[in-house]
Amino acid sequence: MTAAGLKNNSVHEISSIANSNLLVRMMEMGVLPGKKISLLKKAPFNGPMAFIIDGNILALRVEEADLIHLKAE
Amino acid sequence: MEIAERLGTRRIAIIGNPNVGKSSIFNQLTGLNQKIGNYPGMTVDKMVGYFHKGEQRFELIDLPGTYSLLPKSEDEVIAHKVLNGQGEEKPDAALVILDACNLERSLLLGTQVMDLGIPIAFVINMKDLAEKRGLSIKTFALYQAFGVPLVMTDARNNEGLEEVKSLFTDDKFVVGKTFHKPDSPELLEQVQEKFGFETPYQAFQQLIFSSFDPTLAKDKKVWLEEKANAFHFDPEEQQTKETTERYKKIDALLEKSVLSGVNKPKEFHGKLDAIFLHPVWGYLTFLGIMLLIFQAIFAWAEAPMDLIDGTFAFLSSWVVETLPPGVFTDLLAEGIITGIGGVVIFIPQIALLFGFLAFLEDTGYFSRVVFLMDRIMRPFGLHGKSVVPLISGMACAIPGIMASRNISNSKERLITILVTPWMSCSARLPVYIILIGLTVPDEAWMGINLQAIALLVMYLFGTVFTLLGALALKFIIKTKEKSFLMADLPIYRMPRWQTVLLTMFNKSKIFVLEAGKVILAISIVLWVLASYGPSGRMEAVEAEKMAMLEKATDSEKDEIRNIYASKELESSYIGILGKSIEPAIRPLGYDWKIGIALLTSFAAREVFVATVATIYSVGEDVEDELTIREKLAKQVHADTGEKVFNRATGFSLMVFYALAMQCMSTVAVVYRETKSWKWPILQTIFMTIIAYLGALATYQIFS
Repeated sequence: MTAAGLKNNSVHEISSIANSNLLVRMMEMGVLPGKKISLLKKAPFNGPMAFIIDGNILALRVEEADLIHLKAE
Repeated sequence: MEIAERLGTRRIAIIGNPNVGKSSIFNQLTGLNQKIGNYPGMTVDKMVGYFHKGEQRFELIDLPGTYSLLPKSEDEVIAHKVLNGQGEEKPDAALVILDACNLERSLLLGTQVMDLGIPIAFVINMKDLAEKRGLSIKTFALYQAFGVPLVMTDARNNEGLEEVKSLFTDDKFVVGKTFHKPDSPELLEQVQEKFGFETPYQAFQQLIFSSFDPTLAKDKKVWLEEKANAFHFDPEEQQTKETTERYKKIDALLEKSVLSGVNKPKEFHGKLDAIFLHPVWGYLTFLGIMLLIFQAIFAWAEAPMDLIDGTFAFLSSWVVETLPPGVFTDLLAEGIITGIGGVVIFIPQIALLFGFLAFLEDTGYFSRVVFLMDRIMRPFGLHGKSVVPLISGMACAIPGIMASRNISNSKERLITILVTPWMSCSARLPVYIILIGLTVPDEAWMGINLQAIALLVMYLFGTVFTLLGALALKFIIKTKEKSFLMADLPIYRMPRWQTVLLTMFNKSKIFVLEAGKVILAISIVLWVLASYGPSGRMEAVEAEKMAMLEKATDSEKDEIRNIYASKELESSYIGILGKSIEPAIRPLGYDWKIGIALLTSFAAREVFVATVATIYSVGEDVEDELTIREKLAKQVHADTGEKVFNRATGFSLMVFYALAMQCMSTVAVVYRETKSWKWPILQTIFMTIIAYLGALATYQIFS
């Protein structure tokens, strides 16, 4: 499962981030394996998603959230 | 003397993540003592500030906010070039601002700067928030690990700033311990030698930045590429590796030096986000805020703009009355003073828009807008951040285009800049009102005034063309940059008025100093063209006028002056130009008089009204639009007896003004924002062609 499939009110742990040219950018913004991630809000019509990671709110588009792989429960 | 001053000045760069309070510290140290300059070959502004204590003088370079020193946008390239002294003078030291709540992320950048071998000091800002979160930071443990001084601050509340100042005055900046050793030491050694770098990490930086730095010499680029290939140095892979390794070390270190004690989760201001990010309330709130801003630029700016207008008109007539008559007086009164007035007139709108934007940005609301609007703007090749430039374009394109600054993707930024002038700005309003009054009957249709509907149609027309234009440009402009959205939504905070006021001041200053030069130059050229003609012709008209005036009774004099104002304009260079383009504009339904108005109103759209009033001898001082309208309605073509401003011509003119550039200030500001003449020139040509075709089609349909 990736962060794009996250539902409200569930906290997951990031297992890995898919390799892409956004990888370094994600890492430097604090999206790192082992961090807890949860969904705060989704913009309508499949718009951006706002996640809470490490106490910060980060807005990502769905295809970017799809790069973040989560640990199975 | 200046050199002596420079020698005694210590130059210090300030760097930190976005939203870390970097500008706040910069502003509090330097206040109004700031200067805006350029980085050669870059579009990002260079912010430099000064402060002194006793004999000691300091120059502070406010580097753009970045998350790392890895190449992504111009921001990082500039940080790299300055901190390594590549094409930019290297500062004596660097002040790194860290976020007390996000030390892990901040230290990624912090340790990178440290490894460049430049003397540094750390400022851990926002300690108040960290305390609220229950974090306790053991500064001494951090100091031992890095070997560089650390100061804790809460810059918003002025706490710890004296200690920051003493970092400067007591010169406490030191070179830290090497934190991370990059791979391939042999390769780095060669690069170090070639570029004269002190540390291997500087060489590493030069390697990963070589393909991103537009100002790096070609031979050096090739050399770096060859070396990287020879040593199998893959920049992408190396950056991932570096980031991972740095984080590992930082984590290990923070485990020992930061106690997360109570570990209270951050207070989320959840109630605000529940409204501001809500699928319904979020958009309604945003719409409300935008309406308020729009109203402000549109209406609140009017009084100061009238005041500026009046002041410059007064100055101009004062000069005419005071100085002896002659070419110089005319140039000063009608060319230069009027030209400067045409620049200053934009300040209220620019200051108001940027005041609001700085306010919204400082409270943390701004990035929520990006979150809300991104989905809507994306299909048109625009970014969530494009929405503010476009909406402010409905008041005036100038501040709108200046507000496109924070769109980081260069393609999305360029598209935004290129299409914003199509939004229906307030300068089009007088043109629309006159033409609608002439051509649309003042009747109600289903209870709604037809003229009001026509005006609304013109606004929608502009918006539709803006979006269609963006859509077309999306397929035309090529880029290798991938569009993405990765935005921190910072917690809500009270805005700092100092920041808001400084932004208003700085943006107005940038506009006056940089775009102002171009506007002044064009307006002087236009003035010369409209006031002078081929030798003899103007003088003949002038002499005739004098003769007529002498014979005339007082009641006739005004009438004569109006007639001759029209004749003078007709025999000027611009009048001759207007006549010569008549064959080209005939199919649009325009005569040579309208042709002259098209040329003069390149200065600004609203000039159309004044020129038409002059050329049809309505009189220069007509404030009342109704009078102009009545007189214009009576105008007929001499040869056919047809009305000049019939419906087809009126609609055709409105379409022309909706789509043509017709605003030298926009040209100037596009030049200033893209730092090249290529885009404003292409933009003007294309807008004019599209306007011509649009007006042609409109005229043919309605005639």
